[in-house]
This record gives sequence, structure tokens and C-alpha cells, in this order.
Amino acid sequence: MKYQSQKVAYWFFAVCMLLFSLQLVYGFIMGFAHMGLDGLHQWIPFNVARAVHTNLLVMWLLSGFMGAAYYIIPEEADREILSVKWAYVQLIAFVLVGVTAIIGFHFQWWEGRKFLEIPRPLDYLVVVDVLLFIGIIGGTIWKGKRYTTTSLVLFFGLLTAALLYLPGMIPTDHQTHDSYWRWWVVHLWVEGVWELIMGAILSFLLIKLTGVDREVIEKWLYVIVGFTFLSGILGTGHHYYYIGTPRYWLMIGGVFGALEPVAFLGMAIYAIAMAKKGGRNPDNKVAMLWTIGCAVMSFVGAGFLGFAHTLPQVNMYTHGTLVTAMHGHLAFWGAYACLVLGIITYAMPHLTGRKLQDSNANVFAFWVSNIGMVSMTVAFGIAGIAQVYLERKVGLDFLAVQKEIEVHFLGLVLAATLFTLGIIAYVWNFIRFGRPVGKVGG
Amino acid sequence: MLTKSQAKAFFVFGTAAFSAIFIGLTIDTFQRIPDQTKSQNLTEEVIRGKHLFDTKNCMGCHTIMGEGAYYAPELTKVFERRGEAFIKAMLRDPEAMYPGQRKMTNYKLTEQEINDLTAFLIWVGNMDLNGFPPKPDLIKTASPKADGATSELDAVVKNENRPQIFNQMCVACHQLNGQGGEVGPALDLIGELRDINYLKEWLRNPMSIKPDSKMPKLPLSEEEITELAAYLSTLKKEKVK
Repeated sequence: MKYQSQKVAYWFFAVCMLLFSLQLVYGFIMGFAHMGLDGLHQWIPFNVARAVHTNLLVMWLLSGFMGAAYYIIPEEADREILSVKWAYVQLIAFVLVGVTAIIGFHFQWWEGRKFLEIPRPLDYLVVVDVLLFIGIIGGTIWKGKRYTTTSLVLFFGLLTAALLYLPGMIPTDHQTHDSYWRWWVVHLWVEGVWELIMGAILSFLLIKLTGVDREVIEKWLYVIVGFTFLSGILGTGHHYYYIGTPRYWLMIGGVFGALEPVAFLGMAIYAIAMAKKGGRNPDNKVAMLWTIGCAVMSFVGAGFLGFAHTLPQVNMYTHGTLVTAMHGHLAFWGAYACLVLGIITYAMPHLTGRKLQDSNANVFAFWVSNIGMVSMTVAFGIAGIAQVYLERKVGLDFLAVQKEIEVHFLGLVLAATLFTLGIIAYVWNFIRFGRPVGKVGG
Repeated sequence: MLTKSQAKAFFVFGTAAFSAIFIGLTIDTFQRIPDQTKSQNLTEEVIRGKHLFDTKNCMGCHTIMGEGAYYAPELTKVFERRGEAFIKAMLRDPEAMYPGQRKMTNYKLTEQEINDLTAFLIWVGNMDLNGFPPKPDLIKTASPKADGATSELDAVVKNENRPQIFNQMCVACHQLNGQGGEVGPALDLIGELRDINYLKEWLRNPMSIKPDSKMPKLPLSEEEITELAAYLSTLKKEKVK
């Protein structure tokens, strides 16, 4: 840790651990419900569990991005964070809004728009909170001693992520308009500006872990995020095939959607090439493992599995089935969850002064959670393909099909248990690091 | 070799160009949406239904236009598939309609809310969604043609002379020729077991004949009951073959 104020990051990471753990609980509720074990229906019906599960994901990832920014920006800009006090205010406000939203969902205080369920009054608070965050980070960069590409790309990613939250708040009475704007938020986040954040964090990690020259790493960062937008912006079209929008989106979404994996492939090659080029034996091997894991799994989950059903001819059949859940799980895990877990693994020894990064628990966490998530993806995939075939091709009744594929959810829950073991190990290791110390250096 | 400033220029100009194209396409799309989605039919009722659909988070279990969760049926074509009477009965008392199955929350909707939601679903069902959802196409290709024998699958394709209400309501829970839900018993041989009068009485109120029956009293008119009972009583062995 070079600067005192980087300590703020620790508390954002702690929030990550808490929200992530809670997210898994709601995942299990849904997994069991799909198996026919819906004993909690009366208190936590499926739509509540689903809203909580996905929103907790978004919240803990955002908390991770914010923590990463508070950790990275002081080092990149060579100065303390503008105001540590306001950073804590921003964290507390973020947690309060998040927790209120999650509790509210249980009482049906929500908007019922996939991924953007947070009710409108809280949306405004989210905007205020994010503006505060952007202000603190932007101000720190502005007043910093140097402007690095990594910090600028990170800032640009965070800023555009904040701006793109706004289209989701456009009021509308029309289902198609609603859906159209919703994808501006959801798609342009995860297949657009979040990739800038991802690229910047990866770049920071690679600079620190491999010792390769910053200029080389940052040059390729530009190329990759360039490809991200080249494909990702018009790639939004793959959500506009079947929602009452013109037919030309089938062509545009198909072509540019099919190009989206290029950016993720670039990310994977980039990380591996830099790791090889560096050749330096990193003193934090597991952070390196998570970094490479993130780059590779994001290509498999977001790139390859996304490509598998992005073409309109395929998507016609897979749209709105468990095939989407298959892609969604591995994509978020690879691209964003692994990324946040990677930066936490990198930062913790610096924040706390304890060298527990290469502990057995963390190595176990990496392999077991990854094997667990890949197995979950396989279970979702089999269930999804069976559903597509029986429902969309053979024309069986929805509930009859769900009975047929119940067994795959047993597989899913078993795989999820493995995954959870990995995450428990990670969280336990996080706790073992203890609180951050005030010592600067190291 | 590519320099850093060239890489930066690629990023900046690429992003600007594609953002501009995307915004242009968005403007064009919004001009075409009214035609494609029949916005002229967007009545007050439909709009209330849309907001109700959101406030109850129906998308948290169902999909509509293929978007939502994958726990409950696709609703885009639910009007075509099940008809108005079934949708309304389902919204009135979801637990009664699929006894012992995956549960839907009973939102205790008012009659007006039920009408609004139904209007919304009808409107969505009439949109031009570029061919979504696809029609199941394997039933047709699976039907044997070589020996000219009428197979069970052929019967499904032709739907025989089934009353429309049968195809919308009864098949939600019962199978005929292997098509339909699996909640209640198959109806293939019901004509062997029950006569028309028994069936009429049953359809009027299942519980009056069998007090512990799980089948709900359905919102059927007397004509529909007569039509259905007449049809069901013909479902005998020779009919199936």
C-alpha cells in the first residue's frame, strides 16, 4: 500500500464478500424451486429470489469495482484520495440503498424490469451516490501527479457506466420501448463499458504482477477496448431481434454480436501473453491465477457461450430459455466475479500487511469455485437444450418439460454446492487477512 | 508496428463512429415501432396492464417477448394458446388452476386489474415480433407418411374436430394423443368411462361429483359445457386409432 487512503478499498471488498455470500443463498432457493422443492414459496416466491439474486450480483460487483478504483487510482495518480471521509459516506450510502432495495423486494417494492428492479425513488439515490463516487475518483485523478492510460480508461468506464444507468429510468408505457432502453443499461454495461473497467483493472494487475512495461500493456488495452466498442455497441442489436423492433436488427445484431467474442479473445490472449512475456515469478501467484482465470473464463463464458446463441437463427429457439441462464452464469463469473476476486487477492496483502495470498485456502477457492461454476454451466446447458428441444421443437407443454428437466437441477444444485465450498474458502481467507493496517509501504 | 497513439485513435474514433451509427438506428427504430407493435391499440387498459405487469414483477418468473425468468411459461402468445377465459381464471385464483404444481402467487387482483392485464397480454400477442416465438416444427416431420396410416401424431396436427375451448383450456392440464399438460389424467378414453350427462355435470362443478377433486370449477358457459361434454363423450377406442 503506497497511500493511506487506499484502505477505503478494504471496506468495499468486505461488502463484496457479504453480498456475494447472500447471493448464493438466493441462488440455492431458486435451484431447489426448479427441482420442485418450493417450501419457501409463501415467504420468498421465485420472483423475489430472482430479483434479489441478480441485484445482489450487480451490487457486489459494483462494490468491487468501486473498491478497485479506490485502491488503483491513488497508485496510478500518485496521490491520496481526494476525501477519505466522503469515500466512507459514499460507501455507507451505497450499502444503505442496496440493503433497502433488497429488503423492499421481499415486500414487492420493485419495478419488475429484469435486472433493473430497484424502485424509482432508490434509483435517484443510486445516481446521487454514483455521482459522488465519480466526483471523488475524478477529482483524485485530476489533481494527481500523472495521468495514466489505465486510470483514464478506468475512469471513462465508471463514468459511462453511471451515465448509462439513466436510459433505464426513462418512463414509458410501451413494452417495446421499455425493453429497448433496458438493454441500453444492461447490455451496454456488461458488453460495453464494464469491459473498460475490466480491461483497466486487468491492465493494472498485469503491470503489477508481470513487470512488463506499462507502455506495452496500455497500448494493447486501447486495442482491446476499441474492439469491445466496435462490436459491443451495435451488438446490442442481438437483444432487438424479437421485441417488436425492425427486422434489420437481425442482421446488425447477428453480425456485430458474432464479433463480440473477439474482444474477449483479445483479453485472454493479452493476459496470457503478458504473463509469459513478464516471466517474473510474481510474489502473489494466486492473484495471477485469478487474473488469467478471469481472462480465460470470460472468453469461454461471455465470448464463446455468448456466440453460441447470438445468431438470430439459433436465438429464435433459445431466446427466453435456460440456455440464457447457462451463458449468463459463466459470463458474469468469468468476466466480472473472477476479476473482482482477483483484485481483492492482489490488494489484500498490501492492505493488511499479511501475506496470506498464496495460502492453500485461496488456491482451493480458485480451483473448486471454477470447477463448480463450469459444472453449473454444463447443468444449465443440458437443461436448456432439452427445454429448447422439447418445448420449442416438439411442442410439449411448459410444465411437462420442466418436469422432464428437474433432474438437471439436482445436478445444478450439486455443482453449486461445490462452487459454494470454493467461495466459503475464499471468504474465510479474506477474514483471515484481518483489518487493514495504517502502515504505508510494501 | 502499432504505436500507442494509433491504438488510442482506433479506440476513440471507432467508439465515436459506432455510437453515432447506433444512435441513428435508434431514432429510426423508434419511428418504426408504432407500426410493428400496433401502438394504435395501446389503450388505457393496456397501459394499466403493462404497469401492473411490472409492479407484480411477472417477469421474475415468466418470460414475455422471450425476456424474463425461466420458471413459468412464456406469455407472448398466451392469449392465442389459452384464451381469455383461462387467463382470467388463472389470474383470479392461480393455485386452483394447476393443483399440486409449481405455484404462482395469488395477487388478489380486482376484476378491473384482471381485465387490464388480459388486455395487455392480448396487445403483446398481436405484435409483429419477427417470427418469435417459433412454431414447434418436429411434430409434422415426425408423422409417418409411407404406409398412409393415420398416426396419433397426424391426429394432433389436424386437431380433429376439437372445440376451440378444449384446445385452450383442457389441454393446459390434460393430455390427448400425448399432447397437453400432465396435471390431470389423460382424456383419450374418457368417452368409454363417462357418458355425456355425467361429463356435463362434472364440468359444471367437479366438486359436486367428487368432493375431493382437485380440478377447479372452470368459467364455462352452458353452451361450452354442452359442446365439450359432447366432444369428450366421443373419445373412445376407435377414435384414438
